Amino acid sequence: MTTAPYKGFNMSVIVKCEHLTKSYGDLIAVNDVSFRVEEGEIFGLVGPNGAGKTTLIEMIEGLRTPDSGLIKALGLDPTKQGDELKERIGVLLQTTSIQPDIKVKEALRLFASFYQRAPDNAEELLHTLSLEDKADSRFKKLSGGLKQRVAIALALVNDPEILFLDELTTGLDPQARRNMWDLVETMRTQGKTIFLTTHYMEEAEKLCDRVGIIDYGKIIALDTPRNLVNNLSAESKVTFNIEDKDVATSKFELVGAVSRVEKVEDGIILYTRDGNVTLQELVRLADKQKFRLSNLRTESPSLDDVFLTLTGREMRE
Amino acid sequence: MKLRGLWQLAWSEFKLNLRNPAMVFWSITFPALWMSLFGAIASEPIPGFEYEGLNLANFLLPGGIGLVIVASAFIGTPINLTTYREAGVLKRLRVTPLRTSTLAFGFTLSQFIFMVLGILVLFIIGKIFFNVQVLGSWAALIGMIVFGMITFLALGSAIGSVVGSWRTAAVVTQIFFIPMLFLSDLFMPISMFPDWLQPICKALPLTPLNIFLRDIVYGVPLEGLWQLGIMAGWLVLGSIVTLRFFKWE
Ligand SMILES: Nc1ncnc2c1ncn2[C@@H]1O[C@H](COP(=O)(O)OP(=O)(O)O)[C@@H](O)[C@H]1O
Ligand SMILES: [Mg+2]
Repeated sequence: MTTAPYKGFNMSVIVKCEHLTKSYGDLIAVNDVSFRVEEGEIFGLVGPNGAGKTTLIEMIEGLRTPDSGLIKALGLDPTKQGDELKERIGVLLQTTSIQPDIKVKEALRLFASFYQRAPDNAEELLHTLSLEDKADSRFKKLSGGLKQRVAIALALVNDPEILFLDELTTGLDPQARRNMWDLVETMRTQGKTIFLTTHYMEEAEKLCDRVGIIDYGKIIALDTPRNLVNNLSAESKVTFNIEDKDVATSKFELVGAVSRVEKVEDGIILYTRDGNVTLQELVRLADKQKFRLSNLRTESPSLDDVFLTLTGREMRE
Repeated sequence: MKLRGLWQLAWSEFKLNLRNPAMVFWSITFPALWMSLFGAIASEPIPGFEYEGLNLANFLLPGGIGLVIVASAFIGTPINLTTYREAGVLKRLRVTPLRTSTLAFGFTLSQFIFMVLGILVLFIIGKIFFNVQVLGSWAALIGMIVFGMITFLALGSAIGSVVGSWRTAAVVTQIFFIPMLFLSDLFMPISMFPDWLQPICKALPLTPLNIFLRDIVYGVPLEGLWQLGIMAGWLVLGSIVTLRFFKWE
């Protein structure tokens, strides 16, 4: 396989899903979903709890059987060629544990023994995941963040071509979450394709080359985070206070790119089509008119706004 | 290559059992203590005892072997199985190329090794302190032990497959385990029990195992070999229930 980082074009398709559907009784958990993942990219599925992320990712891993539709992962059909597929993928399940009393290093050795060709990389993995001083600790004694790192180390014992990470950072504190993000970046530079799910928009935006937004079992948008946001044609906000003067809000309507001005309790909000232009002109205006800006900040639209626009609901439950 | 991971899994699970105090107590310490304490009451050959040269410990040894087998199969297997299922360990193993058959065989093998350890401890203590002897055939003894192990492991995994949580598994296990200890000719002869209870005692899987182990140790000819059919029946039942009800999640 190639180890080039994602460039967004000319890549080969590594996972392909077509018209995938899976129901549990009356509930359609995944509803006629089609998409592709390209080699070397970080692909993210983002959506609220119960959207169908786990069902979808576990069908690709061969853990659940679709009712209908087609899946090819590494050119293999997970339901029929699951054994071969499992040799070549690494999986972090949403909720799993390993044997509570097993020591970290023992677990790495044990899991490596299940694969036909597993590099002898236990030491290296312990190092990459900063687990060296936990090598002899029992799994059950570790904190949530450390457990998650062990789970990732286990997903890497066979040097997989695709890494599936279901809810990588759910339940982790901010520091541990940041560490995970760095790890994902590191793994990408090693040429692995990463397929992750999250219900944090911020995480998807930060990590993913392409994001599929999933809601009620359907992928309702799929693109790079930047394109998703740009296609919204939503406006940025420039917010500030004026400390020493009373300036008429009408003055700001003439500032470049501003479409609307709003006076709120804690300041003034300019809605703008181009935050940079507005910011520059605003500062110039303040200089000329001799008033002082404070608390100046800009807010660009985010994936949260994309979700809100598409579904009419806030992402947070 | 189909058995890739088998030995590593079995050895790893064996070590994990050794880290489990309940397992170690019930399947190693308790049988050994039981044999030693009661054996120490009368370590001399019992005068007038119908089997010449044998002492009380020698009488207790076959029962001890039965205890080791029942305890590890009935405590280890269902509780490990339910704990692993509840925590998602089984599911995690399932996304590796480890085959289902290898997984089942590996877990079984780990319990085998554990039981062998428990039985060895009994023999070593028995030999050093009580001069226990096996008057019958070693081959028959080993064959009987292995048959017992398989039967009880099948029953243990049946419980672990049917029962959902490990808490329930612990309760169900005790419901079977404790009465069986009393009703299987281990501590007191079945003939002591009322007539209506005796057929139940004889139908329990531990009864024939215990009786045959004792006969082999004493070197008396085995009678009523049809009773092996009782164990075989339990073995078949346990296997069917396991195959029918086993769940990964
Ligand atoms: N094994 C199952 N049996 C029945 N319903 C399920 C099962 N797994 C998931 N569901 C339901 O399917 C929907 C999608 O679940 P899931 O794929 O876990 O979503 P997500 O991972 O996005 O939170 C939810 O409504 C969930 O309750
Ligand atoms: Mg999920």
